[in-house]
Amino acid sequence: MGFDPDFAVSSVPIILSALGTTLAVALASCIGAAIIGFAFELIRRAGGLGGATTRFIIDFIRSTPVLAWLYFLYYVLPFYGIRINAIGTGIIALSLYYSGYLAEVFKAGIDAIPRGQSEAAKALSLSRRDTIVHVIAPQMLRNIAPPLGNYFVSILKATPYLAVLAVPEMLGRAFDIASEIYRYAEPLAAAGLIFLVLALLVSAGVKRLENQLLWSGTR
Amino acid sequence: MTILDIWLGILRGLGTTAAVTGYGLVFAVPFALLLGVAQYLTRGIARLAITCIIEFWRSSAVIILLFFFYYTLPVVGVTLSAWTVSAMVLGLNAGGYASQAVRAGLQALPAGQREAGKALGLSRATTLLLIELPQALVAMSPTFVNTLIQLVKGTALVSLVTLTDMTFRAKEIAQIEYNPIAIYSALLMAFFVVCYPIALMGRWLEARIGKSGGRFGGI
Repeated sequence: MGFDPDFAVSSVPIILSALGTTLAVALASCIGAAIIGFAFELIRRAGGLGGATTRFIIDFIRSTPVLAWLYFLYYVLPFYGIRINAIGTGIIALSLYYSGYLAEVFKAGIDAIPRGQSEAAKALSLSRRDTIVHVIAPQMLRNIAPPLGNYFVSILKATPYLAVLAVPEMLGRAFDIASEIYRYAEPLAAAGLIFLVLALLVSAGVKRLENQLLWSGTR
Repeated sequence: MTILDIWLGILRGLGTTAAVTGYGLVFAVPFALLLGVAQYLTRGIARLAITCIIEFWRSSAVIILLFFFYYTLPVVGVTLSAWTVSAMVLGLNAGGYASQAVRAGLQALPAGQREAGKALGLSRATTLLLIELPQALVAMSPTFVNTLIQLVKGTALVSLVTLTDMTFRAKEIAQIEYNPIAIYSALLMAFFVVCYPIALMGRWLEARIGKSGGRFGGI
């Protein structure tokens, strides 16, 4: 047996053919997680019963594994007559799971904005919506760019979880190749290396963006 | 099958979940301490090499690492049990994250601490062990608690390499009983019951460290 480097190399193009799926899932999940996470944080901040419930939901999500959420949504949604394909289910699961973390990121970002900002908005009689969109959100984004970027990289690294639902992303393709001739080591090594390079590239890109954002913000 | 049976069935996997976590810590703690300190102390090529090792474990997708080592080690003649492979992969991944907290904690200490050690005639090693590390580890303890939660949640993955943890038990029950809502919500609840107290402990630690005024007193 042994490790066959040629086989590993030959599996690279096949795995890379699923790069688009991986990136699309990651991007959709990032957007989904950011939207749900921001909504969670706004509801939590408003307080009352809704705030307390949301606080519990965020804590619950953060205390449970993403794999369990994948199974839960995959088997439970159809039970309620909601039929979504495996990719859609995976995107919902990743969005929901990471929204719990992003809510905390948004919280820290909003807490870091001086109180005077929202008081000034009130004094100028801006509506709550205008205050959020034009006063809070732009300042918050600058505060949270680094942790937000890190979580986006985490989401990218979580996309191979979708392979357990037989979604044809990169790890799924690697398993397809592997199970054809029962040699797992080489395609998995190739997939692992591709993901590592991708994660490092994306995190370098995120870091650059952060720096630009920081510079553009300082006057 | 009643709800209670489902709960008891899933809890049969709690021992495995706990064992993998404990065994994982055997890998995670030394890895985080040794490499975090090494990254802090070294410069140049040595530091680059250490950073590469940390990044390999930290930046790879953990699900791929697990499959890769599970399938590849036997091919190159290393036979480890699924237990050891799981504990090693999950542990070193968590250890990689924790190593960054160790390094950041050491770097955040005022230089006066090290200089005072030197002025007292303490060796570099003694200064590190008795002055720098205790302060850094206490300051970073909330981060370590978060990493521990990630490790516990990460153990759900071992169900994919034949270990009978809570996730595995849930899937097993799902095969004989069509009641996905009860089974998978019980699985989520089971993880919540395990992880939420740990999260509360982390919050308590954080408040305690924050309140103690001087960042490092108190505990």
